[in-house]
Amino acid sequence: MSGKRIADGSPESSYPTKRARPDDDRTEYLDINDEDDAIPPSPPDTSLVFRGATINFSALTRKLAEARRTKDSKGSENLSALEVHRRQQDNLVSHIFMDQDFSWLHLKPDHASRPLWISPEDGHIILEAFSPIAEQAQDFLTAISEPVSRPAFIHEYKLTSYSLYAAVSVGLQTEDIIEVLNRLSKVPVPDSITSFIRERTLSYGKVKLVLKHNKYFVESSHPETLQLLLKDRVIREARLFSVQADSSIKSATFTTSKAPVRGNLVIPGTKEVEKKGDAITNKFGIAGGPTPHGASDAELFTSVVGVDADEIDEDDENVHAFEIHDAKIDDVKKRCNELEYPMLEEYDFRNDTVNANLDIDLKPATVIRPYQETSLSKMFGNGRARSGIIVLPCGAGKTLVGITAACTIKKSCLVLCTSSVSVMQWKQQFMQWSNVTDRQIAVFTADQKEKFAGDSGIVVSTYSMVANTHNRSHESKKMMEFLTSREWGFILLDEVHVVPAVMFRRVVTTIKAHSKLGLTATLVREDDKISDLNYMIGPKLYEANWMDLAAKGHIANVQCAEVWCPMTPEFYREYLREQSRKRMLLYCMNPNKFQACQFLVKYHEGRGDKVIVFSDNVFALEAYAKRLHKLYIHGGTSQVERMRILQHFQHSPEVNTIFLSKVGDTSIDLPEATCLIQISSHFGSRRQEAQRLGRILRAKRRNDEGFNAFFYSLVSKDTQEMYYSTKRQQFLIDQGYAFKVITHLDGLEDLPDLVYKTRDEQIELISSVLLANESEADLGSDVRAAEGDLAGTVTSKDFGPTRFPTAHRTTGSLTALSGAQHMSYVEQNKSANKKLAREAAPRHKLFAKREKEKAAAKKEAKEARARAQD
Amino acid sequence: MRAIKGILFTCDPAVKQILLSMNEKSSFIIEDLDDHHLVIKADEEYRVRRELEVELEKNTYSMES
Repeated sequence: MSGKRIADGSPESSYPTKRARPDDDRTEYLDINDEDDAIPPSPPDTSLVFRGATINFSALTRKLAEARRTKDSKGSENLSALEVHRRQQDNLVSHIFMDQDFSWLHLKPDHASRPLWISPEDGHIILEAFSPIAEQAQDFLTAISEPVSRPAFIHEYKLTSYSLYAAVSVGLQTEDIIEVLNRLSKVPVPDSITSFIRERTLSYGKVKLVLKHNKYFVESSHPETLQLLLKDRVIREARLFSVQADSSIKSATFTTSKAPVRGNLVIPGTKEVEKKGDAITNKFGIAGGPTPHGASDAELFTSVVGVDADEIDEDDENVHAFEIHDAKIDDVKKRCNELEYPMLEEYDFRNDTVNANLDIDLKPATVIRPYQETSLSKMFGNGRARSGIIVLPCGAGKTLVGITAACTIKKSCLVLCTSSVSVMQWKQQFMQWSNVTDRQIAVFTADQKEKFAGDSGIVVSTYSMVANTHNRSHESKKMMEFLTSREWGFILLDEVHVVPAVMFRRVVTTIKAHSKLGLTATLVREDDKISDLNYMIGPKLYEANWMDLAAKGHIANVQCAEVWCPMTPEFYREYLREQSRKRMLLYCMNPNKFQACQFLVKYHEGRGDKVIVFSDNVFALEAYAKRLHKLYIHGGTSQVERMRILQHFQHSPEVNTIFLSKVGDTSIDLPEATCLIQISSHFGSRRQEAQRLGRILRAKRRNDEGFNAFFYSLVSKDTQEMYYSTKRQQFLIDQGYAFKVITHLDGLEDLPDLVYKTRDEQIELISSVLLANESEADLGSDVRAAEGDLAGTVTSKDFGPTRFPTAHRTTGSLTALSGAQHMSYVEQNKSANKKLAREAAPRHKLFAKREKEKAAAKKEAKEARARAQD
Repeated sequence: MRAIKGILFTCDPAVKQILLSMNEKSSFIIEDLDDHHLVIKADEEYRVRRELEVELEKNTYSMES
């Protein structure tokens, strides 16, 4: 499916290809194990036979069966020759697919013009993306299912409960979903799938979680549903009894109130977003049964089963609720999902009169892009704010989506992000895109604790500041009280995928918010805790198709390639001997990789590209940068030096390449960069790969005709790096990126002044690597988290307090140390950073002149004033 | 006079290094010719190939694992 093409004529074609190949594997191994699935007449007791024997035995039975079947098909002579041939072919291959052989499904006669395949077992949907109606089908599928993998021609989607809930909540009807699926599918929609859809969509939306006056209520218009939920132990325990209720009946009573009304809503920055709201009209008349408004005991009606029957008529008008502990919100939500009554969290913000409105709007000049509009229309689909997650690629404007959502809700808003750096970025973005004033937006970090002025406003903070349970300073304690004491209309969660579940729970339970929006680029985690987010925030509302955005020019077109660099014999020998930590250093410092890096840098500089080289390993970073005479930035680089280097990279035509360590993964924004080379990375982290790709997705030149950005991973062959590299790519492959494998760089040998060309040089290099401290092999050792940063976001290893370097002691004669032995110190391998001019770049004459004039004018004015005072 | 049946094994330099390290455990190499060629004992060939396959497969990522 997602096979990686091997470069033609590669000498390694006899190697096992490195690509994950679930299907190929199956052909090799599985047909031996489960033979009896594919061959109907095989005896049932084969599984008892010793495995070695099974192979021969089942092969025999297969041959027998095949012979019998060919006889059968010949017997039915009314089949055409072609059909007989087809059937034989089917028989030949069907055993490969084992239990996934669905050839028994009946194809519709006009199947060629329909784009979908639906698996009856697990709800996977395969879309032929080359079909003429694929685009419409895609829109529909993204609404009802979750994209799994979207390469160029075949897309895979999966129907899940969450995706169906999301579909219903945007107003799709159960029967419509089935009908459209049936229309698009090549085979009739299997019964298992129809019943799955029915089951999931019917129970959806019956239970709601609402926040009223700082208390959480579980609300439903179906009292029997609430009864059912209360039978569950977890939920019963989480229930909070209101004090005023009569003790004898309270255990079986709910409070009743009116259902909210919906109206029309327009998301700012868009042209009149059309309403998809399903038309449930709310009449305030009461049809019958006990009057919910009146005497106090009538307001709480008993939900004896007999009474329930009378209630059905007025289900539409009344909602019943019971209160639950805020600390147990999460458990209840999770439990409800397990009971298949997922809780709907919607916020009817326009009719919220309790919380003060926040007067913010997008600036008139701000225009949001079509896909941002689509994602927001999913969130505000029925005129209310729905909680959930929006997934957009890096550089596609997630921040603007968040800001627009905040401007739509217009209530107090809390923004949580992962580090103090991004706190400042969010604040700055808010100021840039919306008309929020300085007084309305506050920052809460370790250094700054502000409150907004007035009844409502925006607070930007980090997860760890809010979730912190340790001792706090007096000021932050006060700030926390401020945060927890009020009701928030909206809580914006940046980079939700990195937040640990525990921390998240604390945030969700301490801060009372009506609606939540999670933003992320990569909804993947290496520990598969992603599903937790589903009940903690809400379903995935929207996931953009990277390839689509690239085609429309919102993000850059990227060519991805993996360059295989063979290990030199010396390095590989040491690699085989060393233990894991040092191994990493050995495959990073592989001379062939060095050469490949030099070649690629040179090639792309020649093309006029701006190149970023990433290395997680600081030792390798410095070695490469110094040897290739390029500038580099790592955690140890001072802020001043950093700024100077970045300035040069952005503006100077002489500096076209910089080397970055992990610090560049997130916090440095370089829209000039058009080519990216990775020489060392954080194991198999799919997120880091996507983040790094994101560095070049927002390339300034992306709208130029035929522009391509380039993404190279340099990998040392026959090492663990191959494994990690493939694993890292999985996420991007699912987004539709294809990685080319380059086994040989043409013209590499002819490069003048190629580094480490001779064996002697290589041996010198290896001895320096072997001498290196073991700790040098650690990744990201340069990045230290600031207080308030979330562990894992900077993928740093060391989160302890900053340690001072220990003193070094060396022995030497006094004469030598004082330089009396005619030794002078020359640095051969000098860092290019040092060669940069210390002073700021000279200003253009025009500006210099202007500034001089300005200063002169000021001085004159001052003198004039002084004279006037005299 | 003792004759050992050997076969010429052609491989790339990295694989040769793996073979050399395997040789330290149980000797099967008769002659180390150059970076790409080795002469190994013929009756060990099958075992060597299998072990080599296992070694190389360690660096392959597959969806199942």
